[in-house]
Amino acid sequence: MLDRPDASFATREDYLRARERTRVLLARGKRRWLRLVLLLVGPGVLVMLGENDGPSMVSYATTGATYGIGFFAPFIILTFMMAFVVQEMTVRLGAATHRGHAELIFQRYGPFWGYFAMADLAFGNVLTLVTEFIAIQAGGLYFGVAPWISVSAGIAVVIASLSLRRYVTWERALMVLALGNLLFVPAALLSHPDGAALVHALATWGPLPETLGAGFVTLILANVGATVTPWMLFFQQSAVVDKGLTRADLTQGRIDTAVGAVLAAIAAIATLVAASSLYAAHVDVSQFADGANFATALRPYIGETGATLFALGIIESGLLAAMTISTSSSYALSEVFNVGHSLNLDFSNGKLFFGAAIGTSVAAGGIVLIPGAPLLAMTLAVNVIATLLMAPALVFLLLLANDREIMGDLVNGRLANLAGGAIVIGISAIGALYGVITVFPGLIGK
Amino acid sequence: MRYDPADLAALEPAQFASATRRALPRRKLSRGVTLLLYGLRLYVLIAVPLVVYAFVHALGGL
Repeated sequence: MLDRPDASFATREDYLRARERTRVLLARGKRRWLRLVLLLVGPGVLVMLGENDGPSMVSYATTGATYGIGFFAPFIILTFMMAFVVQEMTVRLGAATHRGHAELIFQRYGPFWGYFAMADLAFGNVLTLVTEFIAIQAGGLYFGVAPWISVSAGIAVVIASLSLRRYVTWERALMVLALGNLLFVPAALLSHPDGAALVHALATWGPLPETLGAGFVTLILANVGATVTPWMLFFQQSAVVDKGLTRADLTQGRIDTAVGAVLAAIAAIATLVAASSLYAAHVDVSQFADGANFATALRPYIGETGATLFALGIIESGLLAAMTISTSSSYALSEVFNVGHSLNLDFSNGKLFFGAAIGTSVAAGGIVLIPGAPLLAMTLAVNVIATLLMAPALVFLLLLANDREIMGDLVNGRLANLAGGAIVIGISAIGALYGVITVFPGLIGK
Repeated sequence: MRYDPADLAALEPAQFASATRRALPRRKLSRGVTLLLYGLRLYVLIAVPLVVYAFVHALGGL
């Protein structure tokens, strides 16, 4: 049992977190449940809508345009259920230990495995961050904005968000931006979707595509990578700690994660539905480079307003993810070096924390501006890589969530372990299948 | 910005920044878990170059 530190040891980070906790305790004391939920939502909504990022929306659009809604509408719901199962564990870990994911791996399993986990995270995050700026640039191009302007503006917004220097302000600002992910819903409605076909797809997982070849497997993998990725584990656990959630807040933490998953699934299916107009019109999207190509191609089918909403949605998806992913890198890196890791820090005490987010954002934006950079191939490859890196990340998550010494009574139950184990096996199997068809492309056809 | 020390009562002792800087004790991994982690490491080391190969292959096709 830890003793309460003397007030003279308290930092700005402690005071700002304590102020928010006071509001939570007051709301709980007065049994104002709605206010309590409103105070405690944030990490779950941000992680789920943040994962509806640039490459994810392009993956959903490519899927809808290539295969229609048949199999993939219910598949997307399944992937978000998987995401909920996984992310709920990070809420429990954060509330039980008050420590971030990276520091728990390092402290419990040592630097050897810790550096491997960090290498996976850093590799995935840098690649993904590049594709977020590709999305920002692509959305800007749709409106005739020069790439250097849109990318610079994106970097400036990331820096501005960090300048807020208060976790709760940062979180609320990002949540307002995150609502922009729902721009894909009116875009889908403007495509005049067949409601009966959507209900049929959700109920029957059909119709199945005529050919189940390499392209289908790649899109399965990309759709999984669009919903569960390593940065989400690191981000949500650290955000839960930064926000100050405790064991008493677990119900609200779960509600937060579930609301995020539902909103993100709605936006993802809306993107699939909007893009399925291209499938119905037999438009070849194989040479599309980014979200802007989809917006332009969709104009005849969803109108100028719909296409504009689609392009704005692509910009939002890239911008929000740029902020959440760069912050997940900051949390993880600062935790590893055991230095300040909170959005409540001031700049002088958070040089590494803020420097990591700003540095990676500037580097990622710079790569996008390199003339001739293979942006299309990168966008498609990123979700696949994220899925492949997910299996080892999930094993660490399961190990930590089963660690009774740190989790106490919040340790994983049998059901959570069964679901988590099934997800690890499923993701590894799809990844292995992808490997086989990459090496032997003729095995199951295109 | 003015801080009210009374607010600090809202934090659990383990939530203070100074408390989270103290490392937790190491946990020994069982042989089975160690093997699983090595297996997954091998999986990543094989799978990621395959994606890079597919990436380079796709570039050639552009």
